[in-house]
Amino acid sequence: MVHRSGDRERCGTGIDGFDTVLYGGIPRANTVLLTGSCGTGKTSLALEFLIHGALKGENSLFISVTENSEKMLANIIPYNFFEESLIKSGKLVFVDLPVMYERLGMTKAELTMEEIDLLVAAIASLVRELDTKRLVIDSITSVCYKLKTSEKIRDFILKLSKALTDVGCTSILVSEMSAQASSYSMFGVEEAISDGIVLMANMERRGDLLRTLQVIKMRGTMHSRAKYVLDLTPEGVLLAPLLKGGSTGT
Amino acid sequence: MSDKRVAQNIFDELMEAPPSSAVSLQMSIDHYLEVLRGVLDLFASKKEADVIYVTSTISFDAIKRVLEALDIETSRVFFVDCISHMTMGASSGEMDEHTTLVESPTMLENVMLKVEYLIRLSEAAEKIVVIDSINSLAIHNNNWILSEFLHILVSGLRARNVYTIILSVEEHSTPEINTMVSLVCDQGIRTNLKEE
Repeated sequence: MVHRSGDRERCGTGIDGFDTVLYGGIPRANTVLLTGSCGTGKTSLALEFLIHGALKGENSLFISVTENSEKMLANIIPYNFFEESLIKSGKLVFVDLPVMYERLGMTKAELTMEEIDLLVAAIASLVRELDTKRLVIDSITSVCYKLKTSEKIRDFILKLSKALTDVGCTSILVSEMSAQASSYSMFGVEEAISDGIVLMANMERRGDLLRTLQVIKMRGTMHSRAKYVLDLTPEGVLLAPLLKGGSTGT
Repeated sequence: MSDKRVAQNIFDELMEAPPSSAVSLQMSIDHYLEVLRGVLDLFASKKEADVIYVTSTISFDAIKRVLEALDIETSRVFFVDCISHMTMGASSGEMDEHTTLVESPTMLENVMLKVEYLIRLSEAAEKIVVIDSINSLAIHNNNWILSEFLHILVSGLRARNVYTIILSVEEHSTPEINTMVSLVCDQGIRTNLKEE
């Protein structure tokens, strides 16, 4: 692992290949957009990031937006390193955002600016209360659907990112995008505000569909910009270099 | 050389290879069973090694049947099968924790990933990765990507002190394939010594 003097403190993801790509991990307190189309492994990678953190003693929080967290856990790969005790001890906490909406009285389809502030404050408060060091919101796109305008989305992500950075929480915001998208996020705003962008994709090569991962940007560290092929296994996410001889050039 | 001596000869030469060596094993098609005996029975047993057997030639269950017929212990052999899925020959009922499938021999990155996965699962001090064979992989892949695959795979295995044994069939080999293999291997073994 390469470490250079003056480097920011790292939040090692625990995913060997990914930490190598990032020269040691995500710079601590960064807010990273993990973006990709469906079936590319975003939720699995994000969850593994949290499990490794919890195993290292860092309080980790998963905020589920689209899917009931119990259902999500039932469908996730049974990781060999996962321990039920992480949940029982509170090291790994799952919260369903729809429940938070309900408790905050946010029942309308679109949030007002005041409600955005309230939501950010509620998430920040939860992070402080739980002393959360790692956070995943899956997905930020679903939250953005309730914000409607790019101004509100920008406001929400900027405020959330600042609140999380202030408490030293390293965050992954899972973002959904269509396979044909020309930007890295559904609304085109999220990517500009994040400290890092990790793109996950399905790449077709001669009829084979490969899952790929590429770090597009990551503030505070050098990183590889190459494309890697990944596999989701009970040992976690594994990465291998994409063989150039077979590249379609896309 | 008699067929029986082939396995012993392979064993002797492999035992002389330094740890984490990459070895090219070029065989006559007639010697396939003796190669299996020399590598999987004699060498792997002596080393008490787990074997990760990447097959793109015949399916894992066919190789298992051969090994059982030869009375070779299979409990330490783990298969990465690149052919069963493509030929629609694998059913979930036949699968066990010793076998992992790759959809197609063209998905070479996935071969690397499955090998990595099985290495992580293995608790043995010594590990051997067998590629069976470079010729069958060459049917599905061009030399450029195959060469890149071998280079990355062998370099990674060497760094982790894993032996790599690359099988090739003399009758099916080409000068390009031989060059490709010799570029990444430290040592070469040939079984077809009848004429020599």
